[in-house]
Amino acid sequence: MKTTANIFKRHSYREIWLRAEALLALALILEVILFTLYGRRFSTWDNWMNILRHSAEIGLLAVALTPVIWTGGIDLSVGSTLGLSAVAFGQLWRDAGMDPWLAGVASVGVGTICGAINGALIVWIRIPPLIVTLGTYSLFRGFAEALAKGVDTFTGFPEGFLWIGSGQWLGIPVQIWIFSCVALMYVTADWKTVLGRNWKAIGCSEQAAYLSGINIQKYVFSAYLMAGTVAGIAAITYSSRLGSIKADAGFGYELLAITAVGLGGVRLSGGKGSVLGATLGVLALGILNNGLGRTPLTMNYSSELGGVLTGALLIGAIALSVRRGSP
Amino acid sequence: MALSGGCSGGSNESGERKKDSEKPIIALLPKSKGNAYFLSCKSGAERAAAELGVELIYDGPVSTDPAKQNEIIENWITLEVDGIAVACENRAGISTALRKAQKAGIPVITFDSDAEADARSFFVNQATPEGIGYTLMDEAARLMEGKGRFAIITGSLTAANMNAWQEKIEERRSEKYSDIEMVALRPCDDLKDKAQQEATTLLSAYSDLDLIMAICSPAVPGAAEAVKQAGKGGKVKVIGLGLPSENRAYVHEGITQSVILWKTEDLGYLTIQAASRLLKGELTPGTEALEVEGMGTFPIEGDNILLGKPFIFNAANIDNFDF
Repeated sequence: MKTTANIFKRHSYREIWLRAEALLALALILEVILFTLYGRRFSTWDNWMNILRHSAEIGLLAVALTPVIWTGGIDLSVGSTLGLSAVAFGQLWRDAGMDPWLAGVASVGVGTICGAINGALIVWIRIPPLIVTLGTYSLFRGFAEALAKGVDTFTGFPEGFLWIGSGQWLGIPVQIWIFSCVALMYVTADWKTVLGRNWKAIGCSEQAAYLSGINIQKYVFSAYLMAGTVAGIAAITYSSRLGSIKADAGFGYELLAITAVGLGGVRLSGGKGSVLGATLGVLALGILNNGLGRTPLTMNYSSELGGVLTGALLIGAIALSVRRGSP
Repeated sequence: MALSGGCSGGSNESGERKKDSEKPIIALLPKSKGNAYFLSCKSGAERAAAELGVELIYDGPVSTDPAKQNEIIENWITLEVDGIAVACENRAGISTALRKAQKAGIPVITFDSDAEADARSFFVNQATPEGIGYTLMDEAARLMEGKGRFAIITGSLTAANMNAWQEKIEERRSEKYSDIEMVALRPCDDLKDKAQQEATTLLSAYSDLDLIMAICSPAVPGAAEAVKQAGKGGKVKVIGLGLPSENRAYVHEGITQSVILWKTEDLGYLTIQAASRLLKGELTPGTEALEVEGMGTFPIEGDNILLGKPFIFNAANIDNFDF
């Protein structure tokens, strides 16, 4: 009951901020200090831009997963949606001869349809989100593999399209602008509209939310729909960054994104957390993986250590928040 | 033009980097980090790095994330390593990152599996179709004492590399071994089980078969198991292209006579030797051969540095290799 009541208080954001996000921000600063001291050429402009560029897709997915998780749901299919949208883009552009920008818009549409399928199955057929999205995790990836006949590689994109993934605007990588726009939309939805409050209310207590007149179906559906759209956008930045597309695009990204969201203090059982926290979670992971790869002591074990430390950080963060009474 | 902007900031400070480490840094990127094949390449690379006074970074993907190789390369660019050597998982994808490295002035070579030609200076080619095909056929002929019948199990009838090897096998046979006949060519879809089935079928269909040659790696133990179960060990000989570790037991039992592959340690060694010379400017387009002390001379065809003839692993030497 206590938590439900908290949701509707304006200053509850500050309380949450003081708990998870502040702790994470501290950890982040510590990471930066350590890697600046011990890493080679860590705090250079180029490297910071690399960290951001490499975090863009996980960041997009994490931000889009936040409302889904607020409602007490989960979406395991966002990585596969990314893969399917990317392959759809490749086929529309190369095989159907579509203009790359038009194909890009269409592939974001494919992502949106994927999200709508998830949402519809969850809201109207009433299958638990874990089951639905575990199913579509295989389904969407399977479609992507079938479309690409397993081994097809799409490459040789026009220079203009590659600009999204490796170019800059005002000195900042293009996909960071894209990420910032999407994140800003979600933050606005959270702070300035009823969307965020209702999403969280549903996650706290579906019954209480229903009794207070919230259209649960509408809000839950919208969260999954938007997750699909954003996964489609991530497919574009991903394809452009790599300069090639295969059916395995974005494989395993859903788990990385969920890890970042959890690390960012978003309660995985629903009802609590912030978009900003999820973004900080993404940054913490991005900095960790980058820094380990350029610190002489850890350089040759960066991938392994990255996995171990990510796991330890996540469990540590959740354990701390449980102890502080905000699991 | 948008591409070059990302790398320009770092080059102004390149003087500073030299303070971090006086040795040149060469970074080696395998397809996957824990794979025994690449670990063996790494040990050769480490030996070369120690001899040349080069610092070696070895890092690679541990997960199946196809974007990981690109991210590692891009991080190495901002780390300002002096040279990069890569075994490419995704030819088109990695080339984007490698071109970026070249634009930033970092020499790039590939080994094991190549990138697109404009994304690297040289490719250390571990085996040409001719090298593989001729070595397999010569070894088969030696074991069959110049006459008899053999069958080939391949991965698939559409795999370009295996078809090229098979052509070279046939070329060698028709040129040198007219008393040897190839009676069948069967695909196994790169599956050990299917290879075993195919081999069993071959054994019953051709009762006078002398040898089975498996040209994809799962088929070597697959064929050996079939021969073993048919009780024809030693009578029908088995050779093939595969990893020593997967075939060690059969080789010791006398079922499989020879396993053919390049020495992966030498591949790693030569890769670092070549990379080091490339960044010293001793290896340039048009160089015709690479001389390595203690190992001999490696010919260069175009932009391919050739490791040379594959190595034959048999009962006498197979225990010396752990990949």
